[in-house]
Amino acid sequence: MLVFAASDKGGTGRSVTSANLAYQRALTGDHVAYVDFDFGSPTAAAVFDVPGAMRGAKEHGLHSYLEGETAEPVRIDVWRQTEHPLLRTRPNQSGRLVLFPGDIGGGEFATGEEALERCVDLLLRLNSEFDVIFVDLSAGRSYAVDMVLAATAHPRMRALPFRWLVFHRWTRQHVIAASGLVHAEHGILRGGVERGHDEDALRAAIRFVRAAVPDPEAPSGPQVSSAQATWMQACDEALRRLAADHRIGDSVVLGIVPLEPILQWQEQLITEEDVLSTQIANKETLEALEEIARRLTDDTHWGRL
Amino acid sequence: MAPRQSTPRAVLACGEVRTTLLPARQALDIRSAAGLLALRADERVLLSERPGLYARSPATLTGVDCPLPSANGARIRAVGTVTAHAALTEGRVLQTSAHCSLPATGPDQRRPWGEYLVRPGVVEPLGKLPHEAVARGVLDGPRRGDLDVGLIADGLLTRLLRHPLLDQRAPFRSRPTRLRWAALPAAPGEGPSLERFTLAEDELRTVRLRVPEDTAATDLATLCDDLALHDWLLTTVVRMLDGVRLGATAAEDPGAAVRALRPAVDHLLHLWMPGARVSRELAPLWAPLEERPGFTRQWQAMVQRIRDQLTLHTVQAVHREAEPAP
Repeated sequence: MLVFAASDKGGTGRSVTSANLAYQRALTGDHVAYVDFDFGSPTAAAVFDVPGAMRGAKEHGLHSYLEGETAEPVRIDVWRQTEHPLLRTRPNQSGRLVLFPGDIGGGEFATGEEALERCVDLLLRLNSEFDVIFVDLSAGRSYAVDMVLAATAHPRMRALPFRWLVFHRWTRQHVIAASGLVHAEHGILRGGVERGHDEDALRAAIRFVRAAVPDPEAPSGPQVSSAQATWMQACDEALRRLAADHRIGDSVVLGIVPLEPILQWQEQLITEEDVLSTQIANKETLEALEEIARRLTDDTHWGRL
Repeated sequence: MAPRQSTPRAVLACGEVRTTLLPARQALDIRSAAGLLALRADERVLLSERPGLYARSPATLTGVDCPLPSANGARIRAVGTVTAHAALTEGRVLQTSAHCSLPATGPDQRRPWGEYLVRPGVVEPLGKLPHEAVARGVLDGPRRGDLDVGLIADGLLTRLLRHPLLDQRAPFRSRPTRLRWAALPAAPGEGPSLERFTLAEDELRTVRLRVPEDTAATDLATLCDDLALHDWLLTTVVRMLDGVRLGATAAEDPGAAVRALRPAVDHLLHLWMPGARVSRELAPLWAPLEERPGFTRQWQAMVQRIRDQLTLHTVQAVHREAEPAP
């Protein structure tokens, strides 16, 4: 299955959350590919902690591949090449976790027919090899978004199941922007239909993930006064109404990732050790990620609307 | 410039084979296989039904003029043609294979193109060929811009995978493999030998051979296709068994093992026929692999394991049915 990770704005936690979802799926035994189509600001190498391996990706990354300059994009086996001490011992019964990085310094580029064919070749080959393929897309209605919309409508791709995750933060501006990315005149739905997608089928394949959501019910400690807590609850309520009005209400939300302090400091994978041993990460964050990873392929969360 | 008459003797042959599961729900029958592999209008696809369904495309030629890879850093330019073909075994396993052979010396300057075209599959060095260093360079992997027969095999594979006959619904997930090979001359009077077979990376294998000087490069390519096919079968079935959780965890979902192993029974177990298409002269090269690590021994053990799992499942199912309902 292909999973496209999109967001309207940067800083929504799209890359770090989808990398964590990829990690969680690999832990459950799936073979997982993480394809970095975030042309412009590739961050996956940092999240998976493979900076050393990236040096080899200078000129054989996904840009070079799509432009026809390299026949096979470089692949980084995360378990083997990560510099993260905990990840290096590949967990028992886990699946493969392979990163396909973009080229260092490669930006957005215009796509032509041949790049589209090569994109289709790549996605088909990955699909024959991996159980889940995460494709991290540049923010907004980028070339990357257009390319995968065209690729998934391509006749050769008819048999490939795909799903979209749209990441947004839990603020007014982000809610409106995320809705716009999907539903607006120049949004994913309209763009998909122009490229041959069925609108209802495409809509049914899109879910939202709210990231970095503060918990309004959190006990008011020394840092949160009761007045602040009441205000936050009211805010949360207003945001829910706003989201529903913008057609991204709870029924199309796949999951909510709570605000996680360590992710504010550093984009990284959240491991069980971070929660249990060192306790630097919150249990709720890990549970949320595990649950979203599970729901990705649970059809009851993808019923048609 | 008078055209040269004879082809100088080859001191190095090298190639690369890509092996992958055909991305189609149904295995291709012999007619569809011929359709898929009809790379040229002027030459027919080779088809054979004994001892198994096998189709091989006509050869295609790719002109090259580039430096050769070499382990000692020497940059030797070479010019000629690389030959490539595709093969489909039992309508299920697709291989593309590119190779060329190189003589010990070539003209100091590039000749008119026509002179290279009359020697299909021969790439001539400008000057002397340091064949040992180039063989090592080939097996270590060429640098960007060097002669890379793997790219030619990959290009052919990409072209075939775009064919409309393929519905892109492979019956199970698997990984393609690459097998890179180089053959150097054996000592005078010696028969062919396999010097090294390595699993270099997850999906890369390298093979180093010594063969008598008069060995045909096409026979070598056929042998290496055969090695690649059987290595892919082993690799694929090993991974399939790896992915199956047996024992206690299997009890939660007794059907899981059957679902995971069934594709092996449906599509792969009957493909094991090492050496079936290899020329008589090169057939002995299978022997060392059979001895250690013992390709067929490992295969038999896995086949047995798969059958045991399926039997166990059947016994359990019958047992459950026989139990009175609570």
